Amino acid sequence: MTEIRRWQHRRAPGEPVSAETRDSYYGLPVIHGPHWRWSIVFYFVLGGLAGGSAVLAAAARLVGGHWARPIVRVGRYLAFLAVLPGPLLLIIDLGRPERFHHMLRVVKLRSPMSLGVWGLIGFTATAFLNALQQAAEDGWLGQRNPAAHFLRRLPARILAAASTLPAFFLAGYTGVLLGATAVPLWARNALRLGPLFLCSALSSAAAMLALLVGRGPGNARARHALERVEQVALLGELVLLEAVQRGSGPVVGRPLSNGLEGWAYAGTRLSAGVALGLHIVTKMLPRRLRPPLRLVASLVALGGAFLLRAAMIFGGRRSAEDPAATFAITRRPEDPARQAR
Amino acid sequence: MSRESTLVGRTRARPGAFGFLTDTTLCIGCKACEVACKQWNQLPMDDFGFTGMSYDNTGDLGATTWRHVAFIERVADREGRRPTRLQPFQSNWLMLSDVCKHCVNAGCMEACPTGAIIRTEFDTVVIQQDICNGCGYCVPACPFGVPALSPLDGKAHKCTLCYDRLKDGLEPACSKACPTDAIQFGPVHALMDRAKARVAELRAQGVEAQIYGDEALGGTGGIGGLNAFFILTAPPEVYNLPAAPELPQRRVLPAFLTTALAALALGLATLVTFWRSKEVRHD
Ligand code: SF4
Ligand code: SF4
Repeated sequence: MTEIRRWQHRRAPGEPVSAETRDSYYGLPVIHGPHWRWSIVFYFVLGGLAGGSAVLAAAARLVGGHWARPIVRVGRYLAFLAVLPGPLLLIIDLGRPERFHHMLRVVKLRSPMSLGVWGLIGFTATAFLNALQQAAEDGWLGQRNPAAHFLRRLPARILAAASTLPAFFLAGYTGVLLGATAVPLWARNALRLGPLFLCSALSSAAAMLALLVGRGPGNARARHALERVEQVALLGELVLLEAVQRGSGPVVGRPLSNGLEGWAYAGTRLSAGVALGLHIVTKMLPRRLRPPLRLVASLVALGGAFLLRAAMIFGGRRSAEDPAATFAITRRPEDPARQAR
Repeated sequence: MSRESTLVGRTRARPGAFGFLTDTTLCIGCKACEVACKQWNQLPMDDFGFTGMSYDNTGDLGATTWRHVAFIERVADREGRRPTRLQPFQSNWLMLSDVCKHCVNAGCMEACPTGAIIRTEFDTVVIQQDICNGCGYCVPACPFGVPALSPLDGKAHKCTLCYDRLKDGLEPACSKACPTDAIQFGPVHALMDRAKARVAELRAQGVEAQIYGDEALGGTGGIGGLNAFFILTAPPEVYNLPAAPELPQRRVLPAFLTTALAALALGLATLVTFWRSKEVRHD
């Protein structure tokens, strides 16, 4: 019940008071950090997975031939199933969960959280339609059922195309949401977080679909295509992870380079690198060694997507507690102490 | 004249706006404002603790603390020099009664996804308690660390600039209680004129005074000024105030643009990959 006050997590207890008051108010945080914890981490991961799956399913439906049908099938189901827990995870995070519907009072274009609520609804609707049509095509709704008949006759390409915009939105808006705060780590990386989360969404979705489409020789081409997409996304992710660390600088980037969050961030980079490396190396190995290595690569990529969200959310909370980080991004340009950032 | 100096004393506050001028050179650190605020707004007691720093056992603004008096003992400045002389009128203590700034463009209000945070007819920023659902987005969206979620009711709280008292034609409880008139309530533009005159007077007496909350200092980066502003005699960082904060929502459009670009690139890469995919003979 007790509230953690800012002075209760002052940094550097051994510092003399004169040092504390020289560049900050006794080392107290300047801003209030967010309360977001694990449910938000899981929501970010699942949202990415859902959005990425929908994108892959749509692309497979639009340009893939018969070989791509497994991607369409599994991708459409996964997109819907992965987004289902999303609203629940968000609602349990609220201070007043029974008031969740107050989010539906307004649409605010400058509030990424408001846009996100509407984007989540739009995505869930398109993902539901796509999954329903897939279920009808797969015969889950019965052959003679008129509803199933109607669903099968809906234009699948248009459904696929309609799901791409909300899918990309769902996978990327979370980065914008973090960037539009006063939290130094997020504010500094506002332009990079959206693209980073998108890359991670696509790589994790491709990895998951590659795991799910099945090992059979009939699916080899689909699996192969998915692995290629995964590699492209992993490459983008690696570049952006480096850019985020460099762009943050030594002070703002502190949570990325030490502590638990630092380990998580290092783990993210490692897993992206390892997954990419494994995919490349596998091609040169004897054939019977390939399936298990690919499996490992996909699992590692999925783990990386999780670590990334955890590192970013908990790293942001830590960066909000660091007055030096806030002052590093809010000092006036002519302030000599600004050089120290 | 540099761009900086044309911004000094300028605020984008709307003509009918009301706010506070908190003149730290008059503050004696009596905490009457803190007490008056707690009393009027019926805010519960904080979790008492001994901070072990100066005379400030309040620590910060929070869900149940809407005025906070900061005490800074000037032991040494940034270069490590210890003060050997007293500034005119002042001990080597700085006192500042911190409060929600009621920003001209408020980060908390723009962030709020429920529309719980509104701008009143007095141009102040108020959280409607019957709307807030405790999503907590306003908390990190405020550049000054003002709102906080209360563990008691799960909702976000902050200074209302005594909206209920203003409605009845009364001045806010804190400024009413302040024995030295360090906290002054009134129309923002009139207060700003008064602040400029006061800063000129202080400077003439050799005090390095400055306004915090105009477009040059504190109300920067799209915030457009603070309706609750301050007169400071040390760099803002000493009082735990950011010198040049930015309205966080200024980054929304650019961030969405880079995200859209990335989406375009990744989407194209996916399409091309699937398009050019070839039959694989061996897995
Ligand atoms: S100081 Fe913070 S809480 Fe107060 S109006 Fe400005 S952004 Fe909102
Ligand atoms: S916590 Fe309440 S006031 Fe703050 S952004 Fe969420 S709904 Fe709005």
